[in-house]
Amino acid sequence: MTVASTFARRRRAAHGTPEGTEAARRAAQIELSGVTKRFVTPAGSMFTAVRDVDMTIGAGKFCAVVGPSGCGKSTTLTMVAGLDRPSAGTVSVGGKPVDGITAGTSFMFQADALMPWKTVVGNVALGPVFRGVPKKQAEAEAREWVGRVGLAGFEDYHPHQLSGGMRKRTSLAAALINEPSILLMDEPFGALDVQTKAMMSNELLGLWEQTRPSVIFVTHDLEEAIALADQVVVMTVGPGTVKAVYEIDLPRPRGAVQEIRFEPRFLELHHQIWESLREEVERAYARTANAGGRS
Amino acid sequence: MSAPPLKPQHSAEIGPIGSTADATEAAIAADVRNSTRRRKTLLWVARIATLVIIIGGWQLFTSAKIVDPFFWGRPSGIVKQLNDWVRHGTQYGSIWLQIWTTFKEAVLGFVVGVAGGVVVGVLLGQVRFLADVASPYIKVANAIPRIVLGSLFTVALGLGIASKVSLASVLVFFVVFFNAFQGVREVDRNLLANARVLGASRLAVTRHVVVPSALTWIIASLHVAFGMAIIGAIVGEFLGAQKGLGLVIATAQNNFNPNGVFAAMFIIAVLALTAEGLIALLERRLLSWRPRSQSEVAAA
Repeated sequence: MTVASTFARRRRAAHGTPEGTEAARRAAQIELSGVTKRFVTPAGSMFTAVRDVDMTIGAGKFCAVVGPSGCGKSTTLTMVAGLDRPSAGTVSVGGKPVDGITAGTSFMFQADALMPWKTVVGNVALGPVFRGVPKKQAEAEAREWVGRVGLAGFEDYHPHQLSGGMRKRTSLAAALINEPSILLMDEPFGALDVQTKAMMSNELLGLWEQTRPSVIFVTHDLEEAIALADQVVVMTVGPGTVKAVYEIDLPRPRGAVQEIRFEPRFLELHHQIWESLREEVERAYARTANAGGRS
Repeated sequence: MSAPPLKPQHSAEIGPIGSTADATEAAIAADVRNSTRRRKTLLWVARIATLVIIIGGWQLFTSAKIVDPFFWGRPSGIVKQLNDWVRHGTQYGSIWLQIWTTFKEAVLGFVVGVAGGVVVGVLLGQVRFLADVASPYIKVANAIPRIVLGSLFTVALGLGIASKVSLASVLVFFVVFFNAFQGVREVDRNLLANARVLGASRLAVTRHVVVPSALTWIIASLHVAFGMAIIGAIVGEFLGAQKGLGLVIATAQNNFNPNGVFAAMFIIAVLALTAEGLIALLERRLLSWRPRSQSEVAAA
């Protein structure tokens, strides 16, 4: 009863009045223009992670970012979240430059960012608790979300008692409970086995289609990127910059990610993007091989 | 290339094998249980034998005058001394009063030192600038033999409880401080970033992420810290007091009474073990979320 009514409320919120939707949509558009990020290494030298990145992610769009390791994909995400500031250029969300933590954002990390001392419910409830929702209510909300990601019955388990896939589900619930308008994911399923990864991808798509936040999904798995996203951004080897942007015109809802990868259009896109990505991967490989040879 | 195709086995064929396997399984399990029990018995026999050999040897060697009981005491003498203290008290009042005094000093010093260590450790661990400012001074303070501060406290604060509590809390502070500081520094960056993105204020990050995460480190330090508190209380009493176990020991030393020293030592050991047990209990309560480590599983 309560679950059903919450669903109804959420659906109304998501598909509500046209004006409301429009406003919400504009608020979640992500724009990066001329973004450069330099770090000072502990040794005192300068290191450029990303250079002149221009990227626009329309509100409610699912954007996947692929590129060789160390091309600044994660750095880009942290700047959108407001955890880090660009050295040059601007990051703006909904037309406003990012200053401090971007409101309405959730972040899913490659490693589990679960508090090992909190139970599944305790972890999922953190979002509402931090927003100032009373503890009881936050936990009730968390229980509902735990059920939605298929972890009913595991509410009072601690993270170390769960499998990798279950921990990911917990992280997903913890990220979605705040009903973010922007969801940033940094290789969230990178550490999972292939089957679990496919299942989690399906579930992510299902949940995303309900509330439609803008997503930036960093991955090194091109198939995953194409299967999930509206838009695939290929980044060059570091200092990373945007090499090419591909629109993925596969129809939605996409259905099972295991099956879509056999469709002709999927294969065509995969071939096309891989041509572009391969160069970068090869260059990155040559670079590390050289560095290894020198040392 | 002419290998026969693999044929699935029928369950009927493995049926009888299954039941024998069950029987063997049960026999093996019983065997394991037996050997575990045997090992446990042996362990306790060996432990008691060790105690008997040490205490008995001590008693024997001192009776035979191979070891001089005048300097080294003897078990029977220690028991007699304890008995005497319980029945007639010490020259500073009942033995229970001495125990209570020392215990009170140690516990108060422990509480003050832990509170200070945790607060300062968490603060410096989070505020980089403060830590950089304080770091050389902390290094110097850590290098000073702090036990010497006892003399200062005795002169400044007198023979009462305050000087002992101060010494104990200074000793405790540094142990807890270093662990709390390190614990805060070791907090998972991902957890911090996650909490911040979820909208946690600085205070909420401290409360929900930093302190629970550092708690493992802090609690590990408490075991050593209580030992430090007792050392502080006893040394404080050595340096000047009107009652307490440290004073009892100092008096026994001045009277050439090694049995008295050993007897007091024994009481202190019981005190320390009790406190250790309480801290272990607290540890289990606060860190119940932790998976049991390999060594703990082996011990159970």
